[in-house]
Amino acid sequence: MTHQIVCRDLLEVITGYLDGALPADVHAAVEEHLSGCDGCTTVLEEFRTTIALTGTLTEEQITDAQRDTLLAAFRGWAG
Amino acid sequence: MELVERLTPSMRRVARMFVSTDAVADEVVQEAWVGVLKGIDAFEGRSSLRTWIFRILVNTAKTRGQREARSVPFATLAGDDLDEPTWDPTAFDADGNWTSLPMDWRGLPEERLAGRETLAVIGRAIEALPPMQAEVIRLRDVLGWSSEEVRNALGLTDTNQRVLLHRARAKVRAAIEDHLRSVSA
Repeated sequence: MTHQIVCRDLLEVITGYLDGALPADVHAAVEEHLSGCDGCTTVLEEFRTTIALTGTLTEEQITDAQRDTLLAAFRGWAG
Repeated sequence: MELVERLTPSMRRVARMFVSTDAVADEVVQEAWVGVLKGIDAFEGRSSLRTWIFRILVNTAKTRGQREARSVPFATLAGDDLDEPTWDPTAFDADGNWTSLPMDWRGLPEERLAGRETLAVIGRAIEALPPMQAEVIRLRDVLGWSSEEVRNALGLTDTNQRVLLHRARAKVRAAIEDHLRSVSA
């Protein structure tokens, strides 16, 4: 075991872990920790759920007026 | 034309971070599109098209903000809470291990977890974030951009992009939990 991580510190690197952006030894330490820690596994799953739920939101529609103004201007430049 | 419609809401918000009014932000977006049309021949495909468009937008917005003598400190855009812990420190012992386990969402009925109310809670939580945190989570988690695209588009370092996203996700997660507790109470 070259590296160990405690619960408090693991929560700080969840996003890095999910992005696959952690150094290899830290990534391995996170996996090792998760395999034996219900609390941290729960929070990791909650982050995954949060990301999935956030992904179901849709970008709010710009108002028709704004879009019309913009598209009119765009047609002017393009033409 | 579809690209214009798709990118414009994000572009208006990003522009608004650097300039004083919505009207000026709209002008910046239009100016950026002119720049895109003029420069499209020079686009070499080394980044994604949308990343390249955002680089032009951010540069245009920053220039306009400087002309307005409106220089917004990074901390104002990014939030002053980037160094705060992800979780309430009192949930851990002196060694940093759990003393009180987190609430477990698993086992909650799907319709309550993923219901319209929860989505409204998420939307409001994102709107309440500091502007750069809000934009990073919108681009990453709502629109599904990669970390590299977001970093390039907004001119952030790899570390900054990740810290902003992590703070944003942590706050959205906490808002969902508050909501779930209030409806189950």
